[in-house]
Amino acid sequence: MAKLKYKIIPQGAAEGRVPINLIFIDKKDVVEAGLTYRQACEVMAKNFKEPAAIDIIDTDAVTVSSDGIMVDYAVVAFASIDYGMINRDFGYLGISEQAYSEKLLSEEPHMKQWDAIDAYRGKRLFRGPNFNDRLPRVAHNETQTITGRIANNNTGSEFMNVIDMTEILVPAYGALEIMHDGEVLVGLAGPEISVGIGMVVFETYGRIFNRSYGAGLTAHNSGLYAKTVKSDYPAIAGRKKTLAEYTMRALEIGLVPGRDLGCSPAVLSVAKAIGAPIAYDKIEERAWLELGTVGITEDWLKAPSKQLTHAEVLEKADEIVPGISDGKLFKVSQICDVRYAQI
Amino acid sequence: MKLMHTKLPDFIKKVDAAGKKLRPETEVVLRGLESMESAKLASLRVGRIEEEIVEITQDPNVAKVEVTVLPQIPETIHTVVIKGIQKDGTSKKTILESMFITTPAPECYYHDSEEVDDRRVSYD
Repeated sequence: MAKLKYKIIPQGAAEGRVPINLIFIDKKDVVEAGLTYRQACEVMAKNFKEPAAIDIIDTDAVTVSSDGIMVDYAVVAFASIDYGMINRDFGYLGISEQAYSEKLLSEEPHMKQWDAIDAYRGKRLFRGPNFNDRLPRVAHNETQTITGRIANNNTGSEFMNVIDMTEILVPAYGALEIMHDGEVLVGLAGPEISVGIGMVVFETYGRIFNRSYGAGLTAHNSGLYAKTVKSDYPAIAGRKKTLAEYTMRALEIGLVPGRDLGCSPAVLSVAKAIGAPIAYDKIEERAWLELGTVGITEDWLKAPSKQLTHAEVLEKADEIVPGISDGKLFKVSQICDVRYAQI
Repeated sequence: MKLMHTKLPDFIKKVDAAGKKLRPETEVVLRGLESMESAKLASLRVGRIEEEIVEITQDPNVAKVEVTVLPQIPETIHTVVIKGIQKDGTSKKTILESMFITTPAPECYYHDSEEVDDRRVSYD
């Protein structure tokens, strides 16, 4: 009997912190089962009748976090399933591969990572769907799948139940750890992540936006309220040392927060820790206002402090990287089951 | 005068009449249009819906027909019109803002039906 392997963080996992069934499927398992991505999601709907969000992930590809840091995995398709169904028009979304080009690198300076970091060079890039792949959604719609009660938004990172009103966020390093059976910090997103996810970079067909905002700007533009937007919202994040590692790779090739990278609290904190330059004058006033509400000020960033090495930052990452309130560390294997669906 | 578009109050009456056509005691519920003050509905499609409602009641065991009108795109951007009105009824200022609204998708309303016949428009 042909089977499709999948990973599931079930509703109630992590001592009740996870409110929605989250299904992650490795691209390799889809290929091994002889299915397309859409067929894999249809197989899941046939087998799993509860409401769930699905992300299909290629661990040989690359994507970009909201603040412009490259990560070596990518969501290549995502979906929502409920009542054993996938909504005909809006239940599934495949992500378009984006070609390497000099033009892309010149418009998106953070993408120097794709060129200059050996681990990413030559890998296939997936961020958000292009205009055609988004159809029938248009610019007036979010990058979201919805079936029944479940919405899977922002290219497989924000999950919602529109009847019981629960929600959960899985930011970039969280998904990476899940696919690699690492460890995850499960808690409330908190004010720093709330501010941080608005500090995006300029991208064509990004995971959240298309050609909007840019390094040094805030997409939230919510002043004192930016820190509240997701602060009470559960999140499954990666270990802080994972975030620090990937961020340092970008900083060490000369990328500058505010100029090339998003000015999120996490990126700024890591930059300060290793003494990397920050483009203070490129960060807009509105962004400083939001950063200030979580204690990230120009004075604090400029204040003398011991410059740490790469290894020291990794060791002290839990103190250096802000974010996640009431978090508890779990091994992915403690909260995630491996199961098989019948094809 | 027959029009290419049906007025909203007429649509509401037609739905009720179609549901009760075969058996007047059939309960007919129409939801989803409550917030609309004024609308025109494509008559060609109103006609289809009337026929389809009658078709659903052809099963003699059907006691109730639920007709629910939902956005076919469950997540849409809306315009919020915030208008200040003076004591004399005039308006000096309006602020326009965008709101993203996600509503339950149609599956929530029919998931427990044994058979589903999807005759909607498709844009492949």
